[in-house]
Amino acid sequence: MTNNVAIHTQGLTKHYGKVEALVDLNLDIVRGEIFGFLGPNGAGKTTTIRTLMDEIRPTAGTATIVGLDTHNDSVEIRNHIGYIPGDLAMYPNLTGRDTLTYFSNLRGGVDWTYVDALAARLEADLSKKIGDLSTGNRQKVGIIQAFMNKPQVYMMDEPSAGLDPLVQREFQGMMKEAAADGATIFLSSHTLSEVQRVADRVGIIRTGHLAAVEGVQELRSKAIRRVDLYFDGPPDARTFESINGVREVEVRNHHVSLSFDGHMEELLRVATNSHTLSLTDINSQEADLEEIFLTYYREEV
Amino acid sequence: MYTNVFTKTMLDRLKPPLIASVSLAVLLVFGMAVYRGIDVSFWDELPEAFRSVFGIPDGADVGGLAYGAIYSGYGMLTMAAVALAGGAVSIAGEEKNGTIGLLLDNPVSRTTMALSKAAALVMVTAVAFIVLWLAGILTPLMLDVETGTMDINALVLMMFVNAIFYGFFAFALSGWTGKSSVAAGVSAGVMVVSFIAVGLLPLIDEVAGLAEFFPWYYFSSGEPVLNGVSWGDLTVLLAGAVVFLIVGVVGVSRRDLRSQSVGTKMIDRLRANPMTHKAAEMLAGTARVSKIWVKTASEHQALLYVIVPLLFLMSVMIGPMYTMLDDTLKSLGEQFPETLLALFGGGDMSTPEGFYQIEMFGMMIPICILVVTIVIGTAALAGEEKRNTMGLLLSNPVRRSMIVVQKTWTMVLYAVIVGLAAFLGVAAGSLLGALGMDMGNIAATCALATLLGLAFGALALALGAATGLTPIASYGAVGVAVVAFIINGFLPLNDSTAGWAKVSPFYYYLSSDPLINGMHWGHAAILAGLFLVLVVAAIVLFQRRDLRQTG
Repeated sequence: MTNNVAIHTQGLTKHYGKVEALVDLNLDIVRGEIFGFLGPNGAGKTTTIRTLMDEIRPTAGTATIVGLDTHNDSVEIRNHIGYIPGDLAMYPNLTGRDTLTYFSNLRGGVDWTYVDALAARLEADLSKKIGDLSTGNRQKVGIIQAFMNKPQVYMMDEPSAGLDPLVQREFQGMMKEAAADGATIFLSSHTLSEVQRVADRVGIIRTGHLAAVEGVQELRSKAIRRVDLYFDGPPDARTFESINGVREVEVRNHHVSLSFDGHMEELLRVATNSHTLSLTDINSQEADLEEIFLTYYREEV
Repeated sequence: MYTNVFTKTMLDRLKPPLIASVSLAVLLVFGMAVYRGIDVSFWDELPEAFRSVFGIPDGADVGGLAYGAIYSGYGMLTMAAVALAGGAVSIAGEEKNGTIGLLLDNPVSRTTMALSKAAALVMVTAVAFIVLWLAGILTPLMLDVETGTMDINALVLMMFVNAIFYGFFAFALSGWTGKSSVAAGVSAGVMVVSFIAVGLLPLIDEVAGLAEFFPWYYFSSGEPVLNGVSWGDLTVLLAGAVVFLIVGVVGVSRRDLRSQSVGTKMIDRLRANPMTHKAAEMLAGTARVSKIWVKTASEHQALLYVIVPLLFLMSVMIGPMYTMLDDTLKSLGEQFPETLLALFGGGDMSTPEGFYQIEMFGMMIPICILVVTIVIGTAALAGEEKRNTMGLLLSNPVRRSMIVVQKTWTMVLYAVIVGLAAFLGVAAGSLLGALGMDMGNIAATCALATLLGLAFGALALALGAATGLTPIASYGAVGVAVVAFIINGFLPLNDSTAGWAKVSPFYYYLSSDPLINGMHWGHAAILAGLFLVLVVAAIVLFQRRDLRQTG
């Protein structure tokens, strides 16, 4: 393991009785990386984060964060971590500022001008009691809490829950800046547009198993895309059905619509190879993460 | 009425009254079994004061004594408290949980919803009282005790109506204000004050008539166990209950529903005001969250506001009361079998120490300290996990052991404060009544009571550390405390089992008669040792365990 690895897991496994919540997770996340962690509900995302945070202990395997063992060195690790738990709960009777003061007293050394700057950026009202805040406003306090120490590693479980789109954008900017400064972000999320926008790589987890780890760009380039081809006459569907990677061919008048995850070159060669028809227009929609994600989900069923 | 609202509320709320009534039924069996073997004729010669405080009617025999001591007195208080707790949360509880909007989102009118909840309250209370009624009938048959003319049917009916009265009182407050804590606090306060007033006012001729202004009077003054149902009293209580029901239903229909808001307290207003901001900030703001133990203390301060003044005042009052009753007590002192008083912690009534032991040290003081320590012990780990805040707290660089230690420190601090309030109260009572009790011995006894409370608080802490479940921590610690109390009270009655009393922590509290003999360091060490062992167990158990995640 090189010094550059911020989060490293080796065979990390967690069973609850007979339920295998997490199975043999091997993962390396480097410094400065934003790692998106995706998966359906109950796939093991929160279990992974809680194991890394030493809230629960692995049945097998080990993990390190900034080179320290997540169990044996957990207290030392927490000096370097900012954490937003899933389903964030805080103390309803404390104001946002009280809450942040409480945690900063446990950590020591918080720069309050930075806290105020974060609060201004997220438009968070720190004078209200947590119990009187809406979900989104409560989440803002949780975000400030995670960021206020400028940690090396951010562990975030559904951090944008309840945030409005403007604040989500702001928060994504904060993540990118943190990563640019060398911090590592482990981002478990259902907000795929967010992951697509900020993450360098994504891991997709399904029923406790890591199904894929790939760069967002590679994933998208490999993914199924919708292609629309327009000709100057009626094309034959069978011409396209024989191409590798083509599915769901629909022909309407001069228009062919198909799903495609093969090589674009081959598709173009077939489309332009006809002596009777010429290609007049082509329209290819880049697949977004949601479609990729849905594909992975469907494979499960 | 909506049957599903009714059924759900009933099932949600059935457990506490049922637990209370089954425990009282068990106590009745114990009580009657003990009274059976004792000549109880001396009760008739006791001053009215005692019988009325204990709820013992004139001319009571064995059955009447047991019914009186266990059902009419502590039993009635317990059942009324359970009913009012149910009434307090019936509407405001759903508002606090934020579920009322969802409930009323269905085509349910507020009036019908409130009536369904009221009906469920009546029903769960009725189920609990059926248990008490069956136990009341079966126990004498089982133990072959003659109950003579004792009217258990009338007693249970009056108790039921009285419980409903307080339940609906809390229901009215809950419906009108939407605040369950206000509803529970006010109705419990009215209940306790009226219970004490109705017990004490009739002893003083000039003010005896005032007792009629307290609702408890309409339950206890007719002595239903002797005289049967007093239909006049029953009507008064029922009419009151109906009025409360209407107030509650109208109240919830007329106002805005609350969201999960935590409300604004006095200190919040002071913090918001620029004039007082600085002072309030020092008191409640940054200071409150400076350390884990300080924050824990701040969370539980309401406990102290209730318990410390109550305990102090009661402890003070007993002194002058003893002086007033002195002569009667001395003449009767010899007649009290020690065994009979086991239920109240034992003690020789003819001495001020014995009187204090029966009235305060036997049950009242340990209950007050145990409530505080068990509440803190339960909330410390299991409570924080239940609220899902433990994960966030532990994402800071603090050891799990440090959290246990800091929260235990708050528990110790609070137990000492309550113990100190008891000491100051008893010491003041002794001075006021010129009883000449030894201050050092009072201090020693309060110290032992504090250590006893800490042992049970640490038990709640350890159970919470092992499981992360608040019901296990609190019910477990309370259950063990009740069993330990009974073991210590009853096993010594029989020579062959007397030695087993030593398994009960309560044995190390009063068995050395610390009010007379002063500190028993050996017993103090045993209680302190038990406390420490349980705290260490809590640390070890908590460190090993996966944190829970609820919701």
